Amino acid sequence: MSETGLFRLRVSYGKRGRLRYLGHLEVLHTIERVVRRARLPYAVTQGFSPHMRVAFSSALPVGTASGCEWFDLILTEYVPAQDALQALQAAAPSDLAAIDAGYIDMRAPSLTAFIVRATYEARVQFVHDIDPDAFDRAIATVRERNGIDYRRGRKTKRLDLDRTLCAVKTSWDGPRSAKIVLETRLDNDGAMRPELFLAACDLLLAGEDYLGDPPRLDIGPYDFACIDRVVVERVSQEGEDADGHPIAPLAVRC
Amino acid sequence: MRPTYQDRFSELEPLLSRVEKPSRYIDHEWGTLASPEAEHRVCLIYPDVYEVGLPNQGIAILYNILNQQEGESCERSYVPWVDMADAMREAGVPLLSLEGAAPVASFDVVGFHVPHEMAATNYLEALDLAGIPLFASERGEDDPIVIAGGPSVYNPEPICAFFDAILIGEGEESIVEVCLEQRRMRDAGATRAETLRALAKIPGTYVPSLYEVSHAEPCTPHGYTVPRAGEDVPSVIYKRVVPDFEATDPLSQSIVPFAQLVHDRLSIEILRGCARGCRFCQAGITYRPVRERSADQVVSAVTRGLARTGYDEVSLTSLSTTDHSCCSQILSRLNRRLDDTGISVSIPSQRLDSFGVDMALEVAGEKKGGLTFAPEAGSQRLRDIINKNVTEDDLERAARAAFEAGWRRMKLYFMMGLPGETDEDIVAIAELAERVVEIAHEIVPKGQRGGISVSVSVSVFIPKAQTPFQWCGQLDDDEVKRRQKLLVSSVKSRQVRVHYHDADTSLIEAVLSRGGRDLTPVIVGAWKRGARFDAWTEQFDLARWEDAACEAGIDLRAVAQEPFELDQHLPWEHVSPGVTPGFLKREWRRALMGKTTDDCTRTSCTGCGICPTLGVENVLAGERA
Repeated sequence: MSETGLFRLRVSYGKRGRLRYLGHLEVLHTIERVVRRARLPYAVTQGFSPHMRVAFSSALPVGTASGCEWFDLILTEYVPAQDALQALQAAAPSDLAAIDAGYIDMRAPSLTAFIVRATYEARVQFVHDIDPDAFDRAIATVRERNGIDYRRGRKTKRLDLDRTLCAVKTSWDGPRSAKIVLETRLDNDGAMRPELFLAACDLLLAGEDYLGDPPRLDIGPYDFACIDRVVVERVSQEGEDADGHPIAPLAVRC
Repeated sequence: MRPTYQDRFSELEPLLSRVEKPSRYIDHEWGTLASPEAEHRVCLIYPDVYEVGLPNQGIAILYNILNQQEGESCERSYVPWVDMADAMREAGVPLLSLEGAAPVASFDVVGFHVPHEMAATNYLEALDLAGIPLFASERGEDDPIVIAGGPSVYNPEPICAFFDAILIGEGEESIVEVCLEQRRMRDAGATRAETLRALAKIPGTYVPSLYEVSHAEPCTPHGYTVPRAGEDVPSVIYKRVVPDFEATDPLSQSIVPFAQLVHDRLSIEILRGCARGCRFCQAGITYRPVRERSADQVVSAVTRGLARTGYDEVSLTSLSTTDHSCCSQILSRLNRRLDDTGISVSIPSQRLDSFGVDMALEVAGEKKGGLTFAPEAGSQRLRDIINKNVTEDDLERAARAAFEAGWRRMKLYFMMGLPGETDEDIVAIAELAERVVEIAHEIVPKGQRGGISVSVSVSVFIPKAQTPFQWCGQLDDDEVKRRQKLLVSSVKSRQVRVHYHDADTSLIEAVLSRGGRDLTPVIVGAWKRGARFDAWTEQFDLARWEDAACEAGIDLRAVAQEPFELDQHLPWEHVSPGVTPGFLKREWRRALMGKTTDDCTRTSCTGCGICPTLGVENVLAGERA
């Protein structure tokens, strides 16, 4: 596991409660401070502007919760993974606390290269009773169209659903309350934007449409028509083996 | 009726995804201290957004101390940015504290920091959002006691109507006394008026409602403030000072923010006060005497603070850090300790001589961004008038040392509109900057000369209360603009860049620095016309202030620009940092003669009167170089 006396600790952590409103850079800085408070023997880059050697999984949108964020931290000394985990937990706000930790090979692919699958769970409250079939039809229409155009500043971008969305499962706990699970794929060319997908479904459900030039939807936040409140959580991030089966980021633990 | 102290975060939360930087409003940072079940609650408010207010050391010190008191809980609040303030008004959510997410109006005491004059409209913005009456005179028995304190209380008159009590000077001891006394009075069932009279008995506490304005000659058009007939209150309120600075906790910061701030680092105040005696400088008078912490105390506080917070930078703060008698020793000890951790040390500004450059070199490491110096005036004549004891030689040596050490960029701070300034002094700023470029060309190797840059930043002189220049008027704003043009046209080198401050903002700053209680309607009128966050250039609009002044029958330019006579009573003479009026007058006369005055930490007493008046003295950790 060690190359030239260095050790690579892979850590999962959550982003919950109020702390889901932190921006990605805020999370990065906070985790670096957690590592220093935990007194872990972190490695520092050499050169002009020395900084901690730590790498994170891809950014989570502001407002989205998660129970499965990751970072790889390079250590200069071996610390038993359970001890490191405890030290990290004691040094972090509970809504951003570490969940699991283990060592992986120094040469293993980076988190951003490794993670190709992500699952999101959206808890949706509607403003009035919804016919589940009508909602399914809205989802089906959005998926058939294969892409959602949206505005980012003055540019038009396209969310490619064919590449990023594998499956949608909806379950209802009442006429106004649903849990929607989105199984998605991500790569360098893009990733799912769960709230954008829901905003598109919401407009169709309201008898309107999101098509247009320029497109009606942007990067959010959205003024939904039928949706009262939505809380999105990233519930898993995984890699894939050669046969396309999912592997957890710590399954490569050594 | 006073609103209930209860968590109302659920009302704020739906607004979070609609505003920029929601982390400003969510609390839950590492190191928060409040205890919501306490018997007595204080909410301290910085009158600007979270990321400006959080690094403030004054609030950090008071937050720490209040939360250590038995039965006391201190929480924080900041002014929501314009997007959030509008959203809160629309949704009917009042201003909340951070820790408990409870209405600010539900606290026993609400305390505002007073950082500078341009925060004036933000007190009103915060009070209005909180649902607390803007004027102390309109508050009822159920409203919190609203107090204020901070560096900019030495002419409190324009803003004093908004506060029930203003704490003059250092707050470490006095805020505890004020809060405990308010609690005692509350528990005894005292009325608001009885409570305020009790607070006025605490040294350093100014209760504006117990004073009134006299216009008995000789005085300025703003009058001067005297005890109301029949009130047993001091005619002069002297500032509070912590005589034994070393006995205070050097590690005041406990909260580590999520948001990335401008000053995102551990700060350790290594000394307080500066006795260099620059005649324009208010802090140079109001923070005296000079008190240094020992090198051991600083080094151990840095070590403890970094372990507690996890910061990757520590700043050694004060008005003039490189003046600390053990500065060199402290920096080399810290550098040894922090080697190979990626943690850096910074000092806020450099003394303008080769020692200053040596110290900058100690903390720079491989990274040499820019180096900042403040000659303040372009010519030796004018530097002597303002008592900036820096010679042409000091400047040359500092510049030479900096370029030899590898710096390529240098920033020079100046002021415009200083007393006695002529066009030649303006041209001298350009000449000085070009001389620095010349020195750079002598030293920097040929291939690297493209990287040389000298930036000249020029602010407008604002006459401040309690300084030797307190009688001066501000330079006419049209004349400021003419001199700014003259400076720009005097610069020939393309490697010199000139930046200057907005003359409109400076006009209002001068108005609020020099005026009296007659300015209060102007502040209220400007706020009613939408003025808030006036310290933010893009939010500031002079038209609101001009309209408000017109309505109040006040001529802004007259307030800013008309000099006062030496024998006139001044609007701020009832609050005092301990300096004697005689010293300020003597310094003013010496300025007119171009005579400089020494730094009393390096020579002998120069007679400012602060030590004997307040019963304190300079405390140095060693010999000053």
